[in-house]
Amino acid sequence: MKTWIRHHFYAMRIAIRRLLATPFSSLTNIAVIALVLALPLLASSILVSMEPVARNVSVNPAITLFMKAQVPLAETRELGEQLQQENQAYIEKLEVIDKNDALAGLRASESWSNALKVLPRNPLPNSIVVTIKATGDQASKAQELAQTWSSLPNVDTVQFDSAWVQKLDAILSFTRGVLLLLAIGVAVVVVGTVFNTVRMQALVQREEIAVARLVGATESFVRRPFLYLGALTGMAAGVLSLLLTTFGLASLNGAIARLSQSYGTDFVIRLPDVTWLATAIVLVMIVAALAAQWSMTRHSRF
Amino acid sequence: MIQFQHVFKSYGQGANILADINFSITPGEFVFVSGPSGAGKSTLLKLIGGLEAPTRGSIIVKGQRMDQIGNRARPYLRRAVGVILQNMHLLYDRTAFENVMLPLAVIGLNSDKAAARARAAIEKVGLSGKEKLNPIALSGGEQQRLAIARAIVNKPAILIADEPTANLDQASAQKILEVFRDFNRVGVTTLIASHDLELLRRHANRTLLIEPGRFKDLGTHA
Repeated sequence: MKTWIRHHFYAMRIAIRRLLATPFSSLTNIAVIALVLALPLLASSILVSMEPVARNVSVNPAITLFMKAQVPLAETRELGEQLQQENQAYIEKLEVIDKNDALAGLRASESWSNALKVLPRNPLPNSIVVTIKATGDQASKAQELAQTWSSLPNVDTVQFDSAWVQKLDAILSFTRGVLLLLAIGVAVVVVGTVFNTVRMQALVQREEIAVARLVGATESFVRRPFLYLGALTGMAAGVLSLLLTTFGLASLNGAIARLSQSYGTDFVIRLPDVTWLATAIVLVMIVAALAAQWSMTRHSRF
Repeated sequence: MIQFQHVFKSYGQGANILADINFSITPGEFVFVSGPSGAGKSTLLKLIGGLEAPTRGSIIVKGQRMDQIGNRARPYLRRAVGVILQNMHLLYDRTAFENVMLPLAVIGLNSDKAAARARAAIEKVGLSGKEKLNPIALSGGEQQRLAIARAIVNKPAILIADEPTANLDQASAQKILEVFRDFNRVGVTTLIASHDLELLRRHANRTLLIEPGRFKDLGTHA
């Protein structure tokens, strides 16, 4: 076990020495991988920042039934119970809203309170807000229910108000797809860059490899420093891409914050959490080490 | 210790470099392998060191048939054979000390013990005080001694050297041979390939003569 650990320390030391021996070449490789890595990292940042927005506004369709002005609250409640019983399989939540409560709510809002003062009576009707269960086909089901309910005698208007949220959800799904493609692209770039770096290193270190074999080194011993070289390159590129993305977001968020404040929100793009970032860097290290292993298998047969 | 039985060696479709070679070497022997350039001396040493495989025949080193050892086990047998090739294969981007440390890193010896053993090996070949020098800063004879230090640092049972005195003046060659003698005195089986007949004449040792198409065990001569 101790020998195994010593072999790994030796390999890491040799890998660091080789990286430092060619600083310009090493930095160029790291910078190329880091720039490519920064793209999916930025996309992930946008995704993780947008998801809470989509979660806060229900993605499930919500239907609002505005009753005719003369329909009293008791009848509205009755209709609510009837709808709940008839469509239990589709309804997640049903809420009857008293027009007086709705008015009180509006009065609490500074921008509405002045306008409402000039009205002689409450212009709002009683209403029922129905949230549809997420079943996969909830959008079409909501459409169908909205159409049926709009023909009920006491219902004045039916508003199906979550289409934009569904669009947002579709955009997020699309972003996830793009992220996957970017991740595959990054993997290809990491493999290509590390493969070529290790190939060059294997040629440069040809004499050392031959001597190591001469004095009884196993193939694992010969290859291990190159695997560390790949993994260290991946790690350095991961950290550099993190820094680049952080600086990029810092400048972007200034403009985004000004824009979102004009809409009364405080939306900013933030990096994914530490676990996500650490996992991403470890994955890049593994891909880079595997690329190094592949390259060594192909280029160390001399 | 070393046994060749009907060993043939050729490269590709070419003629045999070695043909039907038979001999055995007992532990602790000091043997010269002699013959003109291109006769196959280096090939014979590489076969013993496991750096080449015979085309036919069997080679037994330390009781193990080389052709029956798998690729995974071969490096471990190589550790029992200290090899000094003609061009020495020193690493010129490392110090003399680091060159000698390499075989110890291969076996995973802890750094304190490894450093002590490397210093001892360097001292034995008379290079004390030159540990921090790059091999390029050493003379030809000193580079040869450094290669010997690296070959013996793992305390191999067998030491093989290909033309270790080539390109050295007589005094330096004599010193190098003395180093080999010292290791042989403590039981290391030693094989030295050389085409220097004068050298062979001065040292009364068993000699294996390889000439194109001919192999002869000349035995020990005075």
